[in-house]
Amino acid sequence: MRKHLFNVGAILQGFGITFKYMFVKRPTIEYPSIKKQHAPRFHGLHELRRYADGKERCIGCELCSSACPANAITVIGAENAPDARVSPGERHAASYEIDELRCIFCGLCEEACPTDAIVLTPRFEMADYRRGAFVYSKDRLLVPSDAGVGTPPDERPNGIPADLGRVAEVKSTTNVDRGYSATHRGEVLKTERKGLAG
Amino acid sequence: MSSAPATSDLVTLTIDGVPLQVRKGTLLVEAAKLVKQEIPVYCYHTKLGPAGLCRVCLVEVEGMPKLQIGCNTPVAEGMVVRTRGESVEKGRAMVLELLLVNHPLDCPICDKGGECDLQDYAMAYGRGSSDLADPKSSKPKAVDLGPTIVLDEERCVVCQRCVRFDDLIAGERQLVLKDRGHRDMIATATGDPYRHNFTGNVTELCPVGALTSKTYRFKSRPWDLHRTETSCTQCSVGCRMNVDVRNGTVLRTMSVEGDDAVSDWWLCDRGRYNVGYIDAPERIKQPLLRRDGTFMQIGWEDAFAIWAKAIRSALAARGPESIAALGGGRLTNEEAYLLARSMRALGVKNIDWRTGRQRQATPGSSGGTLLDLERAGAIVTIGESPAQLAPVMDLRVRKAVRHGARFIRVASHEAAPTMPHLDVADVAAAAAAIPANVTRVALLWDGVDSALARAAFAALDREGRTLLTYISGEQGNARGAEAMGMLPFSGPGYHIADTGRDFEGICADALAGKLDVLAIFGANPALNAADGARVRDALQAVGFLVVTELFMTETAKLASLVLPAAGAFEKSGSVVNLAGDVLPTAAALAPPDGVLSDFEIVTGLARALEIELPDTEEIERATIAAAAALPVGIAFGDDRFAGTAKESELGDGLLLRVTHHAFAGGGTIANDERIAALRPLPEAAFARADAERLGIRTGDYVDLVGSGGTLHDLLAEVRDSLAPGEVVAIAGLSDAAANALAERSRVRVEKIRHADALVEA
Repeated sequence: MRKHLFNVGAILQGFGITFKYMFVKRPTIEYPSIKKQHAPRFHGLHELRRYADGKERCIGCELCSSACPANAITVIGAENAPDARVSPGERHAASYEIDELRCIFCGLCEEACPTDAIVLTPRFEMADYRRGAFVYSKDRLLVPSDAGVGTPPDERPNGIPADLGRVAEVKSTTNVDRGYSATHRGEVLKTERKGLAG
Repeated sequence: MSSAPATSDLVTLTIDGVPLQVRKGTLLVEAAKLVKQEIPVYCYHTKLGPAGLCRVCLVEVEGMPKLQIGCNTPVAEGMVVRTRGESVEKGRAMVLELLLVNHPLDCPICDKGGECDLQDYAMAYGRGSSDLADPKSSKPKAVDLGPTIVLDEERCVVCQRCVRFDDLIAGERQLVLKDRGHRDMIATATGDPYRHNFTGNVTELCPVGALTSKTYRFKSRPWDLHRTETSCTQCSVGCRMNVDVRNGTVLRTMSVEGDDAVSDWWLCDRGRYNVGYIDAPERIKQPLLRRDGTFMQIGWEDAFAIWAKAIRSALAARGPESIAALGGGRLTNEEAYLLARSMRALGVKNIDWRTGRQRQATPGSSGGTLLDLERAGAIVTIGESPAQLAPVMDLRVRKAVRHGARFIRVASHEAAPTMPHLDVADVAAAAAAIPANVTRVALLWDGVDSALARAAFAALDREGRTLLTYISGEQGNARGAEAMGMLPFSGPGYHIADTGRDFEGICADALAGKLDVLAIFGANPALNAADGARVRDALQAVGFLVVTELFMTETAKLASLVLPAAGAFEKSGSVVNLAGDVLPTAAALAPPDGVLSDFEIVTGLARALEIELPDTEEIERATIAAAAALPVGIAFGDDRFAGTAKESELGDGLLLRVTHHAFAGGGTIANDERIAALRPLPEAAFARADAERLGIRTGDYVDLVGSGGTLHDLLAEVRDSLAPGEVVAIAGLSDAAANALAERSRVRVEKIRHADALVEA
């Protein structure tokens, strides 16, 4: 006991370490007012994208849902009205639902998608008090109609776009424009952070 | 099949190094299946035979300079065949590359994607790339071919399976290949909508996604579907059928490959497309009790208690004679057995399944199988032919005719079939028209006029000739209901029991005020009985009428208590088809909440009445035994089944006859909006002489007025096969119930409105 009481050196040494860290840059981030920049290919909340002309990219083919290892995606297809197409081609997704509680954010849906319609964004905040609120349907997944990117496949004389296979080919051979590149994502985050911090 | 072939009929050959012996004339594509080698095919189909159009079935035959097509090369002695190898693979890859030259690669959109032969073979045998860089040709997509089918011309690989089905199997010859070369397309020869009773089969035959069903387009992908194999219960053929369900909805039905005995791999459009009623919003989902003229919803326990109380007080007041039960033709064997047994346990003998026109369902010991039918040398049909009553049996008739059988219609009032046929006035003329060398004759009957059936049997039954009989009935499990004892004079397995009152007697009792409780299980006599007005009056006169139904049918609207029952896809059991085959049915989905099967309804009533019912094992044993029991001692057109035949009314006016239509009759078709376009318009067919006298042309609208009521706005048709003095109306249409005018009564034609005048107005 006595020995410990008089070991002032050790106590000072401990305080010294604490004192030293007062001048070291803090690793903690004051979430949620400040947010960390994620890795460029972070797998977060899904997003359903559009083409630049506002048409939905999703054609309701359900390849995402069949690729999903967690059975988190449910797609119900429907026929496009020829005069008011929701998506290029004949089929569109009448209903598109992802159970984000079931999702394991592996990104296989993104890999399977022949039209780059479903992508994983860096957004990860989806806390809620109800389980049902984690089933995201098209009203929350789909980007606003003016936020589309990329040109839709060319239409042929019969009004139907050229092969969707062509889109897939482009994706596999070149670096397809995904709407926002890694840096683009970073920009979005920086702006958000500034806004919140200010 | 038959006896083993003699050795001289056999040919020895080698396929992929495996020696085998097959019958002479076998095609290589079928022989290869025996050694478990798959030869890819598009145009070839086991039921359609070879056409040699697609060239994808290339095989190498030793000694032949070039690759041969496996689908149209018969086996030969000592032949050495290779279905694999470098040259075969190169040839197939080339064929696939050419097939894909103009085939769009919209597989993610295409309904066939996932179960497409072109996809599968392109993966297995294709190169994966093409040397042809030019853009693909653009053709019309979503071409409306008719009320059931949509054609995508781009996807078509011109295998012509659909055209050949229409020609060889259905015999309708509506589809043709229009234009030539790369402008080839499938179309109807006349440009009219593609419409007959078997159109849906072409969607199954199509190896690509060119022909699709309107009811299934873009609804689902093949891997989403949960498949159950069951039997169709829409008519008495009982075709084996695959039911594909997704999210509690029947999305489509498919035929069962290999079902040679019953369906011959085909389905009719009624069986295939009439599935949307299962989730129709009009379905009853809770027991309904009539109180002061309106229906109120009650719970099941209350329903059983009220029903049991009515039965108990009827038993106490006037005995079991004041109680009756009808139905069974739309139930499973197990349900019909349980119903008959629980009624007999109460001492009730007034039970009958015959609530329509049909009197008899078992042809007795002269009944043949459906395979026998296609080998008949002559087919005679009396009453209504199976064309609308049992469409898939009609395909067997067409097959027999294609093989040379003579098809004879006795006093038919139906439209002429698209196959060679002979119309005769009576059975004697039919007997005379059968060639002397024919040893196997089939006699088809609709089960209505027993005297006619007996006369026909006597006229056709000759020494040295096999006479096979068939009864194509109006209710799916009519024969099962009979075997299970839903007859006033016979218990399970055709054991003759105490005689009660039949349907006519029950109606007479009701009209006389002697019937206190009547239960109707899955039947709609108010719409389907011959004399609708009388039956409606009788049902209204019953003290307490209980009806188990899916929908508020004409009969259910008259009931005191309506109980919601499960549909055919929602319960398991077995049925007996018209040829006596016992076929299992399996539940493909669960019934909606609050809906019980007829089995559970009978069990619930028995519990409320404290009747001992057998356990499930005993029910199973008893139904199997009863279904397998041979109807010994029952004649074709048996007297015991016969009703009091209604004589044709004398007097002025035209004699009314009613006819069945594959897309009329009952709540399942009336409440299926997906196939509303297939329901027939109420029509009246006139003989040419009458039409000319009355000034009626095809396409006019007329009213028919009889003593019982009026049928409004019937579409007139002039039919040459009709005898003068007759008018034919379609039975079982809710909006124009032909039975409102009593059958075989005299009717007047009023308010003739000409088609051209209507257009001008």
